[in-house]
Amino acid sequence: MNGFLGSDLAGVAATWVAALVTIGVWSYLLGERRVFRLAQHLLAGMATGYLVLIALREILLPRLLMPLANDPAGHLLLIPALALVVALAGGRWLPRAVAGLPVAILVGATAAFALGGAVSGTLLPQLAGSVLGPGTPLNVGNGVIGLAITALVLLGFLHGIPGGRITGAAAGAGHWLLIGAIGGWLGFLVVSRLSLVVDRLSFLLTSWLGLAR
Amino acid sequence: MTAGVDGARSPRAARLATVAVIVLLGAAAFARPGDEGGAIVLANPDRSRVTELRSALAALPESPAVLIGLDGDLGTYPEIRAVVRTAFDDLLARGAGLAFVSFTPEGRAVASAELDRLARSGVAAGRLLDLGFVTGAEAGMVRAVTDIVPADATGALADAVREAGGGMAAFNLAVVVGGGDLGPRTWVEQVGPRLPSLPIVAIAPTFAQPELAPYLRTGQLVALLATLRDGAAYVASVRPTGTANPDRVPSALAMLIGMIVALAVIGRSLAAALGGGGQGVATAIEADVGAAGDGPEPSAPAAATPS
Repeated sequence: MNGFLGSDLAGVAATWVAALVTIGVWSYLLGERRVFRLAQHLLAGMATGYLVLIALREILLPRLLMPLANDPAGHLLLIPALALVVALAGGRWLPRAVAGLPVAILVGATAAFALGGAVSGTLLPQLAGSVLGPGTPLNVGNGVIGLAITALVLLGFLHGIPGGRITGAAAGAGHWLLIGAIGGWLGFLVVSRLSLVVDRLSFLLTSWLGLAR
Repeated sequence: MTAGVDGARSPRAARLATVAVIVLLGAAAFARPGDEGGAIVLANPDRSRVTELRSALAALPESPAVLIGLDGDLGTYPEIRAVVRTAFDDLLARGAGLAFVSFTPEGRAVASAELDRLARSGVAAGRLLDLGFVTGAEAGMVRAVTDIVPADATGALADAVREAGGGMAAFNLAVVVGGGDLGPRTWVEQVGPRLPSLPIVAIAPTFAQPELAPYLRTGQLVALLATLRDGAAYVASVRPTGTANPDRVPSALAMLIGMIVALAVIGRSLAAALGGGGQGVATAIEADVGAAGDGPEPSAPAAATPS
């Protein structure tokens, strides 16, 4: 069904493992927690192992250590990168100022790219698309409604800031609009998760039990 | 799931009801009457989203190079798997070469599995290119705009991309598969402003629809499939009923039954909250779920949470 597993012995074994773990997770619904916890620990362990493997095989070895070992003169910029990796790995034994440097670079760079992208890729284009769009009455109306809802929801976040009755009422309206939006999003989430349950049932019936192909 | 919040029904009854729902969903998934075009059909009758996607694909030149940004989430990828694979088949049928890149470890796992599946299904190696896992989150994505081909990548597609500059500009289209942390929104924010000539198409799970729909309206995405019904409509448009289709969308009947059950649970919780002496809706639902499992929700390790 999912097409990831072949029909050879490894594929059959993987299908059985997947089916048994699925049933083990669902056993929680019947009050059986030991198998469920075992599956949780299995997932956590495998996720950790996978992350370590991908870090070694796809990043540290081919992009850092091997280039430095083969041609150190041609990759001078990798030397400070290696120093940062060492500082991060040995952070427990190093002074906080040294260990904090790679973390600061990571957080700063991530925040800079994320914030810059949000402004140039989302905020400005969406503002332009909503407010300055083609001037049909419908589009202008949509833009005004969107602007009003955005303003009210932002007002809803003004916790603890004193305001008058009008501001308070607007903040209350924004609060309920936010809850309504979250409710709508949860509706999408329910449909999304439901399709996953149905897919898993189909996997058990077709790939594992072979009832229908 | 269906235990009363006032404890009128025992946890045993709740468990039996939960098992009954699963069996019912399984039977509906097995029956699949909606596949044959009966009264219950999952595919959205409004084909505008499908038309947008197919128009974007039809606008591609002959033998195009298509960049697949595969950053699906392991937990939610099954929802869009059939749609994604149908898109791959659609692109391959148009003579496209597919280059896969991932910016999240989970996406890399999905991409590796899909590449393996495509190779096993007989797709010529020269039409597939594994660009691997790019680290650095947003910064890595920005770097990939100008330099995306790994040094050890070989093949006709890798050579063609290198000849065209080695960056994302070498591609005619980007198909972004979302669900993980770095999905279509990040592509629109990081790649879009730097490479406005690259059309971006997105396929994402249903929960991402509210987040991504505005980008379609502004043209930052040229096409978007982010609901189950639009996905089913696209699959049906590429693989009409009756043709061999190994990657089927979920059964429409099972989805309908599941939604009715979900509505019943929400309605019951709401009624209990409104008539239960001030108990909040959230508390009522928590009580419902807690009764079904007969105990507090166990804490899952953060690294093990799939979505």
